[in-house]
Amino acid sequence: MRRLKKWLGLGLSATLLTFSLAACNGDKSSTESTNGKVNLNFWVFGSAGYDVLVEEYMKDNPDVNIKVNFTEMGDLHNNLFTSIAAGSGAPDLTMIEVSQVSKFLDAKDSFYNLYDYGAKDVQENYLDWVWNNGQTPDGAFMLGLPTDIGPTTMYYRTDVFEEAGLPTDPEEVAALTDTWEEYHQLAKTIKDKTGKNIVDGPELLFNALRDQSPEQYFNEKDELIIEDSPYVKEAYDFTTKLIQEGLVGQNGLWSPEWGAAMAEGSYGTLLAPSWMVANIKANAPDAGGKWSVTTMPEGAGNWGGSFIAIPKESKYPKEAYEFIEWLTSPEQQLKSFSNNGLFPSAPSVYTQDEFTGFTDDYFNDLPTANIFAKAAESVKPVYMGKHYPIVNAELITALTNVAVNKADPQKEWEEAIKRIEAQLKRQ
Amino acid sequence: MEVLRTEPDHKKLPPPKRRLSEKTKDALSAYLYISPFFILFAIFGLFPILFSFYLGFQRWNGFGEMEFVGLRNFELILGDALFWKSLGNTLIIGILGTVPQLFVAILLAFALNSAIVRFKNFFRVSIFLPYVTSTVAVAIVFGIMFNNQDFGLINIIVGWFGIDPISWGTTEWGVKIAIATMIFWRWVGYNTIIYLAGLQSIPHDLYEAAKIDGATIYQQIRYITIPMLKPVIIFTVFLSTIGSLQIFAEPLVFLGRTFREEGMTVVLYLWREAFVNMAFGPASATALILFVIIILFSSINMYIANRIGK
Repeated sequence: MRRLKKWLGLGLSATLLTFSLAACNGDKSSTESTNGKVNLNFWVFGSAGYDVLVEEYMKDNPDVNIKVNFTEMGDLHNNLFTSIAAGSGAPDLTMIEVSQVSKFLDAKDSFYNLYDYGAKDVQENYLDWVWNNGQTPDGAFMLGLPTDIGPTTMYYRTDVFEEAGLPTDPEEVAALTDTWEEYHQLAKTIKDKTGKNIVDGPELLFNALRDQSPEQYFNEKDELIIEDSPYVKEAYDFTTKLIQEGLVGQNGLWSPEWGAAMAEGSYGTLLAPSWMVANIKANAPDAGGKWSVTTMPEGAGNWGGSFIAIPKESKYPKEAYEFIEWLTSPEQQLKSFSNNGLFPSAPSVYTQDEFTGFTDDYFNDLPTANIFAKAAESVKPVYMGKHYPIVNAELITALTNVAVNKADPQKEWEEAIKRIEAQLKRQ
Repeated sequence: MEVLRTEPDHKKLPPPKRRLSEKTKDALSAYLYISPFFILFAIFGLFPILFSFYLGFQRWNGFGEMEFVGLRNFELILGDALFWKSLGNTLIIGILGTVPQLFVAILLAFALNSAIVRFKNFFRVSIFLPYVTSTVAVAIVFGIMFNNQDFGLINIIVGWFGIDPISWGTTEWGVKIAIATMIFWRWVGYNTIIYLAGLQSIPHDLYEAAKIDGATIYQQIRYITIPMLKPVIIFTVFLSTIGSLQIFAEPLVFLGRTFREEGMTVVLYLWREAFVNMAFGPASATALILFVIIILFSSINMYIANRIGK
């Protein structure tokens, strides 16, 4: 034990030394570049490709120096949470994912209100529902300017549809699945003809229906409404009905089996946002041409997207705001789209030639940008609430129990509500 | 210090400028040398412990104001069926993972210590190897082996015995057995090496004397090996008890972020409270409850292990 402590102490001293050295180093580099310049630290996750755009911005604005810091999405939000809670260490600029926005709106005293810097002037550039997701329900405080979005669509396997004797053309498939009732019929047809499921697991089917509804888990007072509001229960009931009829697979989202099934094509449709393209291509690199995409029954929802906010610790809110206004402008969003596939939140991009002419050879040269744009414009605004992840996790557990353990849907629903209420009581 | 300074004899009074005696200086420099550990321990060890005592009585989401709520957090936790479930899970996984493991470790240590086995060094190293691997890597590999599908490795193996494929990730016993297997695999070598060291420290003359007196192998084990090994057994039981009450990384990685209640352990429960649900008060309260539970179980185990061989 004593030896352990000794080594621990030694190790810790070494770490401390490294830290202090690193700190010296950091000071040096920042003083070197400070000569009258504005230094901005920018936290980024995912493959946004903002480093290229930042270079471009710095060339046009020589008095601004922006340092881009890449981290993984979960880590970024954890780090931001810690630094906001501790009151030090936050960057000048940070990306915040849409599901995390409500949580950080709770700490809005630690962020600049972008309405104070002219955000109202650019509001009309963006889709209304995206804009609403970035502000407080009363519309007085704007946390961040929107970057990209994730409108949901229906991907489908042309080989499975062919085997079932169904059309494979996107228009015809869309006509075949105008409503969820028709989708249900399609599921039965595919099961009869090929023995394959309509979806690989319960989660994406449930998400698809949930994301289409005008209200989800909470109202704007952050009160749980799923027991009174019909929409989530309807999504749950439709999903469990299909599960009980044996039309739904049992794979958990993001599991290795789930990825493998995507390559094999052991199911008919994948109900997912535009950014799923990257996952499909990564999981099924050889299935090009077998995947196609069309609109989802009864319109689209949104899953994902980000905002860029300015924490109060920044000394240069004006310069930081000017940068994000430029970065999230329609012109730059078009660049992010063509370079990295980030789907624009500014609808004026949707009509530009470079955007409408975009085709993807993986999807049989379909104009995928147009299909997603059509979906984006039909999304209705939804209030998510800061405890969204708690409710979602418990409902997914209930659905998994129904799918895998053949549990009773109604009983699982009630159990899930109980677990959700127990956790919400502690907030 | 005061005592030291007033004590030197008056004939050899140090010049007025020097205020510290050599002895004091020595003591001071020694304290300086060891201070990094204590300073760091105070910041990263002591402070969090005290802070979590404080937080256990507050309601706090990490951002806003803290609000004193008295014993409410403890009421919430102790009244939560999931907490008791997680405690039960922890004990079951702990027993499944450590009891067979300690028995197997003793047997393996006997085998490695006996004269019959060849390539001893090779076996000693290879049996210790799992301990060096990272828990997360282990959990990922086991996650693939204990796959829910028909084609998962373990499901194929149980299929040879005519058992239907088991959904390892979602069933009550499937999850526990999978996690206990990981713990067993990773720690059995560690305990084997500790037992082996213990066995090697038993003097050979004891066995020789016993043999001359006509003791059987069973008697040798019963009256020499086990009593002589007792301190080592107590040590491993003690460490395993604490370790199994703190199981965390295995269920977290194996279950992913689903936090299914079949695999929820106490530490996973408190981690979810703090860093997923942002309820730091109840999380700290859980930590305090766990603290008491660990003391309780360790004492009971020490008591039982102490009676071994009596």
